[in-house]
Amino acid sequence: MRRLSLSTRLALLFAGCTAVVSLFAGVLFGRASEMHFVELDQQLMESRLAVLRSTLHGVDSLDTFKQRLPVLLQDLNHQPDLAVRVRGPDGHPWFDSSTRLPLELPTQPGLGSLQINGTDYRVLNPRTDNPDAPQLTLLLDITHHQHFLQRMQHLIWMTVGLSALATALLGAWAARSGLRPLRRMSAIAGSVSADSLNARLPHAQMPPELAELAIAFNAMLERLDDSFQRLSAFSADIAHELRTPLSNVLTHTQVTLTRPRDIEAYKEALHSNLEELQWMAQLVNDMLYLAKADHGLLTPHREPLELANEVDSLLEFYALLAEDSQIELTREGRAQIAGDRSMLRRALSNLLDNALRYTPTGGAIKVVISEAAAAVRISLSNTGPGVSAELLPRLFDRFYRADPARSEGSSEHAGLGLAITQSIIRAHGGQIRCESQEGWTQFVIELPRNT
Amino acid sequence: MKLLIVEDQAKTGQYLRQGLSEAGFSTELATDGITGQHLALTGDYSLLILDVMLPGRDGWQILQAVRSAGLDIPVLFLTARDAVEDRVHGLELGADDYLVKPFAFSELLARVRSLLRRGSSTTQETSLQLADLRLDLIRRRVERAGQRIDLTAKEFSLLELLLRRQGEVLPKSLIASQVWDMNFDSDTNVIEVAIRRLRLKIDDNHEHKLIHTVRGMGYVLEERAH
Repeated sequence: MRRLSLSTRLALLFAGCTAVVSLFAGVLFGRASEMHFVELDQQLMESRLAVLRSTLHGVDSLDTFKQRLPVLLQDLNHQPDLAVRVRGPDGHPWFDSSTRLPLELPTQPGLGSLQINGTDYRVLNPRTDNPDAPQLTLLLDITHHQHFLQRMQHLIWMTVGLSALATALLGAWAARSGLRPLRRMSAIAGSVSADSLNARLPHAQMPPELAELAIAFNAMLERLDDSFQRLSAFSADIAHELRTPLSNVLTHTQVTLTRPRDIEAYKEALHSNLEELQWMAQLVNDMLYLAKADHGLLTPHREPLELANEVDSLLEFYALLAEDSQIELTREGRAQIAGDRSMLRRALSNLLDNALRYTPTGGAIKVVISEAAAAVRISLSNTGPGVSAELLPRLFDRFYRADPARSEGSSEHAGLGLAITQSIIRAHGGQIRCESQEGWTQFVIELPRNT
Repeated sequence: MKLLIVEDQAKTGQYLRQGLSEAGFSTELATDGITGQHLALTGDYSLLILDVMLPGRDGWQILQAVRSAGLDIPVLFLTARDAVEDRVHGLELGADDYLVKPFAFSELLARVRSLLRRGSSTTQETSLQLADLRLDLIRRRVERAGQRIDLTAKEFSLLELLLRRQGEVLPKSLIASQVWDMNFDSDTNVIEVAIRRLRLKIDDNHEHKLIHTVRGMGYVLEERAH
């Protein structure tokens, strides 16, 4: 089934509401007028009844009735819309004012209504205290009332129909104009593509209900734009990182082959190529590792670990490098955790490697392990020039290097280390962040205790 | 020492064969799974090098066939897939080692030698020696040309590794793994520093150098004619 548009739905809803309300009002009004007519009829018939009773006062037999009949007929002549049946106290019919009256008429006391040959009558059987008095049944022709009521019913139905139609049209118009910001929103959303992610909705001019949606939509665009920027920067970076070593290998090989050389020159060329190729292989392996992490395939093989021991082994491994630069390596605190030994060692070694690169000679690197209620914290801080605040969020980006004047080449680190560390920590359900001020930089890892 | 390589990529197979032959092994190459399995079951090989993705039968199936035939040959897997599940799967089936492409040939050679050595060297050496360099495993002492050399514990382990595998080019990753138990890819230059320090103590005052750098591949301890 085709789904109805929002405008159509609103128009139908408005029309329905109006129809129900006007129908209700109409029915109420109709009932009220009908009741009013009944009251009027009753009053009228009671006043006529009083006249008839005074005419028939003292009648107690058919004979006395017949004496009064001319007066009664004279009374009735003045009232063409009134018909009367007179019965004796025993219920036997004495007189009908009209020949059209059926044999059977309601006899129970009170007011009722009746239809005879298409004409509507109000019927009154008055209560009587005198059992010897003749019984009267009054019938009042109320055709004109019924006509009025019928006309009014028609009017009500017409009002219902017309007002429903009018509100449907007005509602459709109102809905369409009310939904205009939504259409503008969908037009902008429709125009968004990879190269126009910078379009934003003017939420300040929108009605409050839509402004919220517009703000959420803009925020989504913002995040998309950011991820897309990072992704395209990543692809560009891959190409950039690979281009230099590739062109080195190409050029060097071609130059070497242009003329015959001695064996040492060939050896030198192969060695140089080897270095470039190893660097590229490392880059590809690192990128595969990150791709695995991105696809959620980095599943830690958990075992109980004493973090202090792991950190100590790493510090021992890096001790030689640290000694070379007279950097002091220390560790404080201990904690147990269930984690993947080689993955966590790799994560921490990247941080240590990074810290050793940026700590000036004579500086210090300190690893502090602490336990909180739900998490184990490892902080690794080093002395040296801090990282500026605007660079902090980008620190874990792939190929990001704090030094903007990056130099690529086989001796230089590819800038994937911190991204890999972050992937490993996340695969363990933890978080990593970097804090920095002038004079020191600190990486803080928080790992959930129950992992 | 006869090795079987099952690798469907012609270039890779040829280079592996050449490299291993030149390292002193006799090798045979199969380029599909069915031939590979037939050779593995009928030939008398000391080691199998299997690619995982192969036409006909994959590496896992060959390994299963070999193990169910009761053959206890060491098996080294080569693969471009490095999902942890793959690794676990391979080790469960009875693979002995695992290398992920792209890998360095020196790494492969070192692993092949480790696998072949496994089980064969049962004799407990009390000392290791090369030229005038002597390492006493019991008293944990090192001497060169009769002069005692003081080494730290790690330097001792490093020298022991180099001596045990003298003549072999040891990649940095293998050294990091064997001496420091660091089993991850790392492009750090800790090993360079360690070798430099060891050289300072072992080689610097001697005319004949024993520790040599093989550019782009690793380090080797051997006596070179000069």
